[in-house]
Formats: sequence, structure tokens, C-alpha cells
Amino acid sequence: MDRQLSDVILSVEHVSKAFPGVKALDDVSLQVGRGVVHGIVGENGAGKSTLMKILSGVYTKDAGTVVFDGQTIEKTTPMESLRRGLSIIYQEFSLISSMTVGENIFLGRFREAGGMRGTHQKAKELLEQIGSSIHTGSYVSELSTSEKQMVEIAKALSFQSKLIIMDEPSSSLTEEELTKLGDIIRQMRSGGISILYISHKLDEIFEYCDVVTIMRDGHVIDTRPVRELDRREMVGMMVGRTIENEYPERPHFAGEPLMKVEHLTTNKLKDISFTLNRGEILGFVGLVGAGRTEIVRAIYGADKVKRKEIQIEGEAVKIMSPRDGKKCGIAFVPEDRKQQGLVLPFSVESNISMANLKKLKKGMFLSPDKERKMAEEKISELLIKTPSPASVIVNLSGGNQQKCIIGRWLETEPKILIMDEPTRGIDVGAKYEIYMLMKKAVEAGSSIILISSELPEVLNMSNRVLTIADGRITGEFDPEKVSAQEIMNRAIG
Amino acid sequence: MSIVRKVVKEIEKRKALTAILLMLFMMLFFDTRFYTAYNLLDMLNSAAILEMLAFGVTLVIICGGCDFSIGAMMSLAGIITIKLMDHMPLGPAICAAVACGALVGFINGFLVVKQKTEPFIITLGMGMLLKGIAQQITDAHPVPAKNLSYMKIANGKVLFGIPNLIIIMIVMLLLFYYILRYTPFGRNCYAVGGDYHVATQSGIRAERIKWAAFVICGAMAAFCGVLLSSKLNTGSSIYGDSTALSVNCGCVVGGTSFAGGVGGILQSFIGLLAIQVLENCMNMLGISAYVQKVCEGVIILLILWFDNYAQKRKKEAV
Repeated sequence: MDRQLSDVILSVEHVSKAFPGVKALDDVSLQVGRGVVHGIVGENGAGKSTLMKILSGVYTKDAGTVVFDGQTIEKTTPMESLRRGLSIIYQEFSLISSMTVGENIFLGRFREAGGMRGTHQKAKELLEQIGSSIHTGSYVSELSTSEKQMVEIAKALSFQSKLIIMDEPSSSLTEEELTKLGDIIRQMRSGGISILYISHKLDEIFEYCDVVTIMRDGHVIDTRPVRELDRREMVGMMVGRTIENEYPERPHFAGEPLMKVEHLTTNKLKDISFTLNRGEILGFVGLVGAGRTEIVRAIYGADKVKRKEIQIEGEAVKIMSPRDGKKCGIAFVPEDRKQQGLVLPFSVESNISMANLKKLKKGMFLSPDKERKMAEEKISELLIKTPSPASVIVNLSGGNQQKCIIGRWLETEPKILIMDEPTRGIDVGAKYEIYMLMKKAVEAGSSIILISSELPEVLNMSNRVLTIADGRITGEFDPEKVSAQEIMNRAIG
Repeated sequence: MSIVRKVVKEIEKRKALTAILLMLFMMLFFDTRFYTAYNLLDMLNSAAILEMLAFGVTLVIICGGCDFSIGAMMSLAGIITIKLMDHMPLGPAICAAVACGALVGFINGFLVVKQKTEPFIITLGMGMLLKGIAQQITDAHPVPAKNLSYMKIANGKVLFGIPNLIIIMIVMLLLFYYILRYTPFGRNCYAVGGDYHVATQSGIRAERIKWAAFVICGAMAAFCGVLLSSKLNTGSSIYGDSTALSVNCGCVVGGTSFAGGVGGILQSFIGLLAIQVLENCMNMLGISAYVQKVCEGVIILLILWFDNYAQKRKKEAV
């Protein structure tokens, strides 16, 4: 690259960082140009977030130099970084939900902003600058995910940031909100702001980024202009091997109707009726908030309903609680792994066994041997990477945690497996393994309801797709015959 | 890992136990009557009731709650038993008192689990209410028991000259240990405390489990009340004023966290024992009661602080 030094806003040279037992970053170097959208891709554990945390001052590096805007940075704190003009927008936003939008943007700087009136005035200007019409007096707890992101961006702008790091900014945005984010990114770039864009979703890298750095196992594999790369090449560099297909071949085993849902009505859902066949994967497509998750939660008995009639194998069943749902042979892998799926203080084996304690009984008591056996079976069956069944689950990677939850539910031998965003925040390799698990489950005679915000995933895995908009089913498609465009149109409503 | 680091790690994990061993070791160098069978048994004997209270509370804490009404429940249960003994035989009177405890636990559970209130405040309020009732019934005077066989429950020595209280405590220890470790109910307690929503969605009846824990805790507190009034041969509304605090505190010192989902009966047992040993040591050394309180406070704060610090460091490493 023949850029001049002044064109480089951030320069990372030979940075290393080790944690007990792991070398998280090994001799990492990269340069971010001024006014450039620079993507970083890599599987989970590739070192992306460690690098980010070193830049922001959460971690200190073991070796190497970081030069930001001409200044060498040794030790820093998050606040110092902000003042220098380096902002980070984390995946989990760092906003205080009980405070207003304006107060959040100028948190701790009310006096600089000119008191409360100045705060709200300036916050409003910043939000308008990025085309957002959020009222600065509303509480953050009332905002949607995308609105919270806008507030974060406005906060970053309020520091006159020269570089904004965005960690998985799209992970819970709808297509529409994503387009808006794209506009804002382009606008900031033309304003001379650099952006470090960290994402799992390669489509976005190709759409927004000028340059991309690929990381694997704490090393930088390559940095190249996006134009020179194609998708397969990039995935190959990320995983260290070429992945032939991102999806396994679609299974085709659909049989007779297994579950009939009729007149499902809640505060949000309006008279939902559909049928799930034995051995099929049924995909739900819709925007976030369209009611996809609400449908499956209502079926499973996790939410209150006004009306629902469910038949499983021709028999009417009453499902009033998740416990009833489980008894009827329904398993539910929820969308938020950390919040709804895992018991964090538990070991891998306890997380797997917790829905299956009945199987572990020996007389009145639980048998630790049986539990160990159950866990070991699942670990080898699902290829879960863990030091031991007794390891605490938080130490596992996202993909392996997800496999534990899936293992928990497969152990209940479900007829119907509901999977809500099963691959969110999981790297490419682990995704493929989860797809294979789904295929295996279907081949074994289970049916799957798949919800995902990643359209290609639903389209490539499902035998049938229902589009959902505004609490209604708006269409039914065969994904092999209909284009993604058409399905999305129907899902937008 | 070198042996030294292993040892350090083990100590970090078992702070309360280390504290006990340290105190026992130190007592070797003082010329007291600490190391006599009499004193050691007496120490356990006076710890027994607190320990048993802790077993019940541990269940609740593991489920993600806490119970500060146990002290007042204990004193009320003693009074109820003694008052009822005028009208009925011993057995039914004790059963009635324990049932009262279960009922109070049931109400606590209803408010905390069903109405989703804050357990700390609710049980504290319940404690005040119960104390008020106890004072009203007794007019704040001690009530002596007239039945001699009642006294024998807690003061007798049925087996090998070991006080009954210690034997009852050991039986309860084993019982609760097995319940928590080896029954679905016990395991579900950990799941409910570890993550309520996940537990519910996994088909565990989280409400019922947590509720049951409160009921068991209440019944256990009442049972301890019976034992206490039997031990002292009196029921009084002034017993148990600071008991609830030190019991809950002892559980946490042992490693049963208020966050829920971690800890266990053995941990709580050790935690309370640590406080008891400390008290006994200081008595032996002739330290004044006021200074004792100060020392106890300091040591409890230190242990909790270290605990928090270790956890924070662990989190940072992850």
C-alpha cells in the first residue's frame, strides 16, 4: 500500500497478548486508513474482541505498539480512548436503560454540554445528523435495538471520534434497519471518520467495507481490499480450509402432518394456523418483532395466550407451561443463549442433564454415573469441544455452548424441535456442524421449526417457509422454487 | 501446576475452612482449655441450632432467595410449643409449631415467588410481624416449660454421651446434603437459582421448587425454635434477634452466594462453624464481648471481600 503516514489513523504493530493457557493475539499488525471502512472477520476465538479490548484500554497488551492519530498509546482507559477520538460500540450496548437518550449521550459530561438544556439540544442535533428522529427525552429502556444503536453512534459522534469500532453491529437488526445502518456508515466515511467493522456476516463486509483483515487463532492472515476477494476465498482464509458448501444438502423426509396449530391468538398474534409435517424443517421468516418468536413461545407454553388449539399426532393437547410442552415432545432452543438457554454457574454435564433428571434416577436419588454417561454420549455425538464434562459452561465457545443446549433437548427425544436463531454469533465452522445436527435430527424422525434472521440460512435449510409480518402468517413458500427477493417482500408485509 | 499454586488455589476455594484450621492451629499455643472434649462438644452443641437454621436457609439462598424471618420464627415456634403443651401432649404440640413454620414459609414463598417481591424486604417484614405476635402472646415475658421430658429433647445424651442436639444436627446435615446433591429437587434448586428463566423453559416447575424451599426453610426454623426452647426450657420473644442475620451471613461466608445457584450444605455448615469457632476462641482468650463483635464483623467483611475479589479476577481472566 502506498499510503502516506498521515493517511493512517490507527496503526497496530506486532501486538501480542496472552492469557493463562492461551495466546489470544500473536504478533498482530494492521493499519486503518483515514476515512476507510475496515472490516475484521474471523471465527470466534480468532482474537477480534481481544484486539478491540486492547485498543479501548480494557486489556493491556503484552508487547507491540499502537499508534493512534500520530500518538503512541501505551496504557489507556476507556474514557481516555474516547477523548482521543476512538469509540467502541459493543454488541451489548453500554447504555443506562433507566436514563434518557440525551443523558446517555452526554453521560458524565453534562456541564460540558451546557447543562440539561444543552445536553438535549446537542443530542438532538447529533441524532438528526445521522437521520434519526428519536426523542432525546425518551428512556433508553423504551427503545428498540436499532434505536439504541443510533444512540450509541450519536454518542460516538459527540466525542468527535476519528475512529469508531463496531462489534457485530448487525447481529439483531432487521434488513430494513441494516440498510439504514449502511447509509449512516457511508455518511460517516464521507465525513472522514474511519470505521472498524467487526462482523460474522460476510455479505455486510462485501457491502460496506473497503478493506478487510482476516484473523484466525490470534494471527492476522491477510489484509486486502475487499474488491480483490471473493466469498469462498474469504471463508477459506477464516477457517483455514476451503468450505465447499456453507449448508448441507437439504433433507427431504416430509411425511404426514405431525402438529396442527389453529387459531393461535395472543396480544400480539392474530389467529395463527399452520401445520407441521413429520420430518420436515419449517422455516419462519419475518422481521424482528414480527411475531416469529412469539409464535413458538406460545406453542411451547412459555407465554400466555388468549386462544390456541394444538393437535399433535391427531390428538388435541393442552400446553399451559413449558413443562407441558416438554411432555408433549416439544423441545425449545431459545434465541438468546446466555439469557434463556444456559445456566451459567452449571457444568457442561449439568446443563445437558437438567431437562432429563428423570432418566438419571436410581431409586430415589440421582446417579452421578448415569449423568456422566449421558453427558459423555452427547459430547461425542455432537462433537462438543470441552476439556471435561465437569467444566463450567462459560468457558466454552459460543458454538459449543449452543451444542450443549441442543444436546440437552435432543436427550429428551423430542418430536418437535423448535430452534430460534440457532446460529447467532457462531462461527462458520460451528454453523455447519449445527446444520448437520439439524439434518440428523430430521432424518431420525423429528420435525424442526427454524427461526432465523439470516435469510440464506432459512432458505437453504427449510423444506417449507412461512412468512410472518405483524403477527400474521402472510404466505407459504417452497424455498427451492421461489426467490429470496419474493419471500422478503412478503415478509416485509 | 506447581504444588504451591495448587495449595493456594485450594485455600482460595475454601476460605472458611482455612480460617477454621488457622484458628485451631493458633489455639495450640495458648494455655486454655480449648482442646478438651468438653469444650469441643460444647462448641458444636451451641452451634447446632444455628447450623440447622442454616441448612434450611441454604436451600432458599441456592434458589436465589434469602430468609430473614427465621430468627423471629424460631422464637415464636418455641413459645407456641410451650403454650400448646398445656393443652395437648408433647408430640402434637411440636408438630403444630413446625406446621406454623411451614405456613409462614408458605406465605413468604407466595409473596416472593408468586407476587415477585424482593425476598430480603419481604422476609425482614415477616420477621417483624412474627416478633410482634410473639411479644403479644407472651406480653414480652419469658414462658417457662412445665414438662420435664420436653427439656430432655435438647439436653439429653442418648447416644454415647454425645448431646442429642449434635446428633440431630448430623442427621439433618446428611439429610439436607443428600437432598441437595442427589435428588431431582435439589438439582432443580440449583437450576432455579442459577437461571430462573432457563429452568422454567427447560420444563422445571421453577415456582414450585422455590416455593417449596421457603416452606422447608420455615419448617426448619420452627423446628430449631422447638429445640432452642427445649434447650433453655423457656420460650421468649427476645430470642433470635440477630440470629437471622448471622445465619444468612454464615451461609455466604461459607460460599453459598446470594446470587443463587452456587454453594451447598457443607459450605454453609463450614461457614457457620467458622463463626462459632471464632467466638469460642475469643471467649477462651478472655476477649470482651464488645471487641468480639468487632472482630467477628471484621473477619466476615474480610472473607466476603476476598471472595468477591477472587471472583472478579476470575471473570477478568475469562
